[in-house]
Amino acid sequence: MTEKKIPLDFDSALERTGGDKDFLYELIDMYMEDFMPKYDELKKAIKEEDFTAIQETGHYLKGSAANLSLSFLKDAALQMELAGEEKDIKKAQETLDDLKKEFARLKTFISNMD
Amino acid sequence: MKSKHKKVKILIAEDDRISSKILEKHITGWGYDVLISPDGIKAWQVFKKNEIGIALLDWMMPKMTGIELCRKIRNNKSGEYTYIILLTAKNKQKDINKGLAAGADEYLTKPFNPIELNARLNTGKRIIDLLEKLHKQAIYDGLTKIFNRREIMRILNEEFLRAQRTNRPLSTIMLDIDHFKKVNDTHGHPVGDEVLVKIVSRITAKMRAYDKIGRYGGEEFIIILPHNSIKSVKKIAERIRENISQKSIQTSAGPLKLYVSLGCTSTENIEANSTEMMIKISDEALYNAKNNGRNCTVVI
Repeated sequence: MTEKKIPLDFDSALERTGGDKDFLYELIDMYMEDFMPKYDELKKAIKEEDFTAIQETGHYLKGSAANLSLSFLKDAALQMELAGEEKDIKKAQETLDDLKKEFARLKTFISNMD
Repeated sequence: MKSKHKKVKILIAEDDRISSKILEKHITGWGYDVLISPDGIKAWQVFKKNEIGIALLDWMMPKMTGIELCRKIRNNKSGEYTYIILLTAKNKQKDINKGLAAGADEYLTKPFNPIELNARLNTGKRIIDLLEKLHKQAIYDGLTKIFNRREIMRILNEEFLRAQRTNRPLSTIMLDIDHFKKVNDTHGHPVGDEVLVKIVSRITAKMRAYDKIGRYGGEEFIIILPHNSIKSVKKIAERIRENISQKSIQTSAGPLKLYVSLGCTSTENIEANSTEMMIKISDEALYNAKNNGRNCTVVI
């Protein structure tokens, strides 16, 4: 993953949300709000090696990231879903770090946008 | 009968609130009514309380998955057809196959493209409109727009069972237009058709809101009157008869004087212990009315 790539494909997200910028910002806020609780759920699921929960939460994060064209977060979430499916705890742990990094990158990107 | 311009109700069952917000925004903008549920069980409750035209079901949801909900909707025989679109993540061919096997009409992969979604909804709307049209053709008489014989008999069966359950009387009126053949022979069938339509509106004007009418044969009609005693059925039948005989019927061949004969019965007649017997006895009463010189009501 190159750090130069922007975390949010604004144009594609805007198209998907009907061209309404305010609405898109509202959704991004919503995503940011949802992310940390989901992240904590994942952390707990990994600790307990609850692969079903890892898969489901990964799936959820993947879906919402895809809706907003957050492609890097989406990829990381997909890896998490797969880690759950494959019952690969090591992969899940590694992906959790990726998710955190990508989320931090998104936060920086958004705050610079404002 | 429902109005042509009513909005199609769309149920969105989706746990991802961002996805459901986006869906809601687009779909409301296209002029549909949108109901949103965050999980399968809530969606099922919403489904039962509303007439849902199209259901958009997410595959993976807490409590009840889209596919379970899809099966539940398909096993639910009451009400009209619901067009089901399953929402799934990409590259889940197995899920798609399973979903279609469970009765989904269509699927859409997430994240969805709004233009495609709109097109899919249009397909769904086209199909439910067609089914509604077919359903109407199957239960209504094309000329008079009242129930056809098969449907009115189905309703009679239903009302008969309800009357037994609730222990309340049920009445029937068989009505036949006197010397209708003469209208057709003298003025032609188009005028005969006009007469049928106008007589129906004279009848329905005197019916109560919950009474049902169907075309039993050419110029013969049956009226089903729930919670109606043998005494009051006579009153209603007479009101109907007077509403027809008192004023000529305006047709393209000029005003025509027409009369009707009516035969009534009720479940209070102990012999009317089945729908077949109710029909038989009403028919007999109608036959007696004809023999009594027509333009009259007989109750048995």
